[in-house]
Amino acid sequence: MWGMSAVSEEDRLDRVQTLQVLRRAYSMARSQRRLILSSLVFVLIGTLVTLAGPTLVRFAIDHGIKAKDGSALNQIVVLYVIVTIIGYFAGRLQYITINRAGEGFLRELRITVFDKLQKQSMSYFDREKAGVLVSRMTADIESMAELIQFGLLQFVSAFLLLCLATILLFVMSWQLSLVTMLVLPMLIIASIRFQRTSNHAYLDVREKVGNNLSTLQEGITGVRVIQAYGQEENRSERFRRSNRALFDSHMYSVRISTWYFGLVEFAGIAATGAIIGVGGWLVHRDSVTIGTVTAFVLLLANLFDPVQQLSQLYNTVQSSTAALHKLIGIIDAVPDVAEVSQPTELPSRGAIVVDKVTFGYAGSDRPALNEVSISVADGERLALVGPTGAGKSTLAKLMARLYDPSAVDGVTGSVSFGGVDLRLSSMSDLRRRIIVVPQEGFCFGGTIRENIRIARPDATDAEVEQALESIGALDRFVEFAEGLETEVRERGSRLSAGERQLIALARAALVDPAVLVLDEATSNLDPGTEAVVEHALETLMTGRTVVVVAHRLTTVRRADRIGVIDHGSLVELGSHDELVTLGGRYAALADAWQRSQPK
Amino acid sequence: MVTPVTQKPDTQQGWRLLRVALSQQRGGLAIGVVVGLFWALGKVSVPQLTKMGIDRGIEGSGNLVFWSGLVVIAGVIAGLFTAMRRWYAFRESRWIETRLREQIFSHLLKLHVGYHDKMQTGQLMSRASSDLQQLQAFVVMIPITLSNLAMLIAVVALLIASQPMLAMFALAPLPIVNVMASRFSRQIHPAVLAVQQEQAQLATVVEESVSGVRVIKGFGAEQVQARKLKTEADDIWNVSLVAAKIRSKFLPALDLLPSIGLIAVLGIGGHRVINGQMTVGDLVKFNAYITMLIWPLRNLAMTVALAQRASVALVRVDEVLSTPSLVIDPLSPTSLPAASSDRAVGEVIFDETVFSYEGASPIINHLSFSIRPGQAVALVGATGSGKSTVVRLLNRFHDVQQGSIRLDGIDVRQLTLGDLRSAIGIVFEETFLFHDSVADNIAFSRPDAGPDVIERAARLAGAHDFIMELPEGYQTILGERGYSLSGGQRQRIAIARAIVSDPRVLVLDDATSAVDPSKEHEIREAMATVMKGRTTIVIAHRPGTIALADTVILLDEGRAVAIGTHEGLLAENERYRQVLAAWEVRESDGDDDIEVIR
Repeated sequence: MWGMSAVSEEDRLDRVQTLQVLRRAYSMARSQRRLILSSLVFVLIGTLVTLAGPTLVRFAIDHGIKAKDGSALNQIVVLYVIVTIIGYFAGRLQYITINRAGEGFLRELRITVFDKLQKQSMSYFDREKAGVLVSRMTADIESMAELIQFGLLQFVSAFLLLCLATILLFVMSWQLSLVTMLVLPMLIIASIRFQRTSNHAYLDVREKVGNNLSTLQEGITGVRVIQAYGQEENRSERFRRSNRALFDSHMYSVRISTWYFGLVEFAGIAATGAIIGVGGWLVHRDSVTIGTVTAFVLLLANLFDPVQQLSQLYNTVQSSTAALHKLIGIIDAVPDVAEVSQPTELPSRGAIVVDKVTFGYAGSDRPALNEVSISVADGERLALVGPTGAGKSTLAKLMARLYDPSAVDGVTGSVSFGGVDLRLSSMSDLRRRIIVVPQEGFCFGGTIRENIRIARPDATDAEVEQALESIGALDRFVEFAEGLETEVRERGSRLSAGERQLIALARAALVDPAVLVLDEATSNLDPGTEAVVEHALETLMTGRTVVVVAHRLTTVRRADRIGVIDHGSLVELGSHDELVTLGGRYAALADAWQRSQPK
Repeated sequence: MVTPVTQKPDTQQGWRLLRVALSQQRGGLAIGVVVGLFWALGKVSVPQLTKMGIDRGIEGSGNLVFWSGLVVIAGVIAGLFTAMRRWYAFRESRWIETRLREQIFSHLLKLHVGYHDKMQTGQLMSRASSDLQQLQAFVVMIPITLSNLAMLIAVVALLIASQPMLAMFALAPLPIVNVMASRFSRQIHPAVLAVQQEQAQLATVVEESVSGVRVIKGFGAEQVQARKLKTEADDIWNVSLVAAKIRSKFLPALDLLPSIGLIAVLGIGGHRVINGQMTVGDLVKFNAYITMLIWPLRNLAMTVALAQRASVALVRVDEVLSTPSLVIDPLSPTSLPAASSDRAVGEVIFDETVFSYEGASPIINHLSFSIRPGQAVALVGATGSGKSTVVRLLNRFHDVQQGSIRLDGIDVRQLTLGDLRSAIGIVFEETFLFHDSVADNIAFSRPDAGPDVIERAARLAGAHDFIMELPEGYQTILGERGYSLSGGQRQRIAIARAIVSDPRVLVLDDATSAVDPSKEHEIREAMATVMKGRTTIVIAHRPGTIALADTVILLDEGRAVAIGTHEGLLAENERYRQVLAAWEVRESDGDDDIEVIR
């Protein structure tokens, strides 16, 4: 039911914004212009055909029936048949052209918005809630699809019909038009009021539906706790309350529409009565013909239906423009990690030098890193340790240019590889040299092979297998019934946590980078897989520069140097032995680790 | 959330259920039908009165005001009953939906945990949401369709009575409207489902791209995802146009058909008027009646389709409602012996218990052990050794297949679930927080607990300090839509929750695993207080947590393979050392920036 869409106060656009959005939409629909124009032509034809019916009946009565002219009547009937057939074809073409134009527009919109979204830097994704971004691409675009499928045509044709029918009525008889004009404004006022109150009512329903679904979901997912503490009755009672609130909200919206639809029904019939009364009086005075009165009675529906449709579609149109406005916001957002136009090529190997880098997350007043300088030699293995929130992961991510350093008093630090500032290289070049392996082995929908190939889309099948082989994990996946073609299912739910981590490592192996930035996994693996992952990781790290955000003593012990990060600063740097001798932060940490080990 | 119909379920059962549901609301539905009949009366009288007005008032010498006045009165009746018909139809349909949803919810909460283990949340959710909406969409049509039918019959009778020949020609195309409308809804339904499915696939690509953004950025794999999205966008485009084509095939034709009737009226009727066999008023009447029948005929076809969908949905609803809970109260329950000065309570005995999850080999295999009242025991074992299952059997989430579990000498199956579960307080590995205030979450097991009880529990669990730092202290709303707490904070709330329930047996299922190691000792101290004089079962692998217990039971392959102290086992038992080594402690401090960003 397209009447059910509603737009909240905060989403509602003012007139200027609406015009901007519409203008923008028009320029975005450039490639569809011809289709849009032709669909408008077909809508116009369809509207004229609708109005032709009563007009033809009027002629038939006045010039055929009343004049007792059978052949004139026949001619009009033939004309009626022709017009109806034209109307049928115009109708078919309307649906096809408007949907082709609309779906084509949406298809481009989906692709453009997604491309823009992907060009955004990490900090954009930190800032925006994942759920909101997803709903931009789904719910917002779908609300526009709904408008295109059901509403846009009706909106245009209702508007045309209302205007043209009014003109036609006045042309036929101004006196009778005045009678309809007595009823029409009432209907319009009622429709506007209905549109406003129903908008509120629908918003309320939507909110109550959401609450009710959350309560429902909470009950189902929390069933173990509920049963463990014997709270079944209590929770059912609470659900009953939210469910009844939803029922009341539904009934409120029905009550609003109930009086409105009753009124519309009454107004249409009352207007018919008035036209017969006044029209009859005018016929007796020979001011109008009986054919005109008949045409008026038949045309009334064409006057009243569009008012109803417009009032219902108004909400849909508003929520669609609001949705488009938000999408334009994404399209216009400028990515803050941008590519230079003339990139410098990165050397195949080299040291990473972090020079006086400061970085703050958007929306946080405290910088996550504060003038940190550190260099990692080619082939060196550096472990970063420190308490939660100290900034060690942030530092690691800056080394791979997931973020760019922030400016402080106009001065910006830099991160370079082999002497080239990362900001001067191209992203594709950079991603062949420096790879970040996130701690959680994230899997995408698709096969194991596709999941690995995401790291280098042009890799051959043999190269993918080689990458797995190189980290000693090929056997494990080949054993699967469908081998590397096994669908991993949503989020890789078919695989164990360890297997997902192996895939993450295989991706890195496929790229064969000079530098590996690792965020060590913290989840527990079963001992068997643990050993395999451990081995894979060790193989992968051999011969590369490695920066690892470490959570385990064993990893730290294997590093050449250890950097201790605290409160956004590098507080200690040195080998394990040096730092233990130093007796500072690291020494205390290592001691705590040591003690928590099983004896 | 649309569940595509893959196989044809037994719709007989669906219809039976529908009859039961409807008969419970006979009253309201009957009023709706009666109101609908009045509505039909009002509607049908309008064209007839219009004809009389034209023929007698305009063409003849009758009283014009009288006839047009009658039309207005018919308008009042039609308007009034349009409103009432709508009101009753929606009220009754929403009410059926509302009541069934409550039935499903309370039934789900009572169903055994094994059922929930098997079912996906999304599936159960759609039973109580989209399936019931399908039902509502049909029930709302019942009074409307019945009154439409009444109107249809009256109109056809009236037309045939006044001009039989003309009626035949004018009405001939209308049955085709009905046939075509039902064919349309049969064809468009799968097309609409296909569009929704494609949209869902696109949503999956977007969703994984947003949540996997670290991987994508890390490898510069934006293009890969962009290609996937383009494929999905193309698919949506394709199926949407298929749906558009179906619409373009049927909808203009559905508009065309009644026009054929109208043309027939004008052509044939016109000549009859010239010949004096009928009046201009008749012409208008025919016109108006034919226009009036279009929507009811289209609706009729829709109602049939809706009825089919509703019955399929009802079968799915019935699957849930007719599933009996496998874990229920005994017919004649025994009550637990009360604690007294000469009898301490909280004795737990597992006696030769055997249990396997559906279709799997036994996870608990002749397990026997006993825990004295007030004793603190740690269950230690490798993954899959059955530690967590022990707890699930103790509080009857599942029932054992052999052997018995006794609490203070009474088989747990002899107790009411309420008695048993209030005697056992479990702190789960994953803390579930409800969309309620902190205080309500802590007082979960005893909604009537006073603020002093809640605060005491929070202090014991080491949660009071951070709760006081929350925006609204104990009144801060938690849960998915509320304030989010860290893993350690959540677990402390869960521990406080267990303390409030004041159980005979306290179970900590790996409950301190998410607590920051630096805070763990605080909780351990708090736990020691809570555990005093209370039977406690701790599932653990951190030596620090194991230390809470005085006795360790080592589980392996569903059996107790060794019992002793931590030090004793460590010294003598090779397997115990292996298990602990496998759980190599990762004193992780989490992803260091997560709290900063999210």
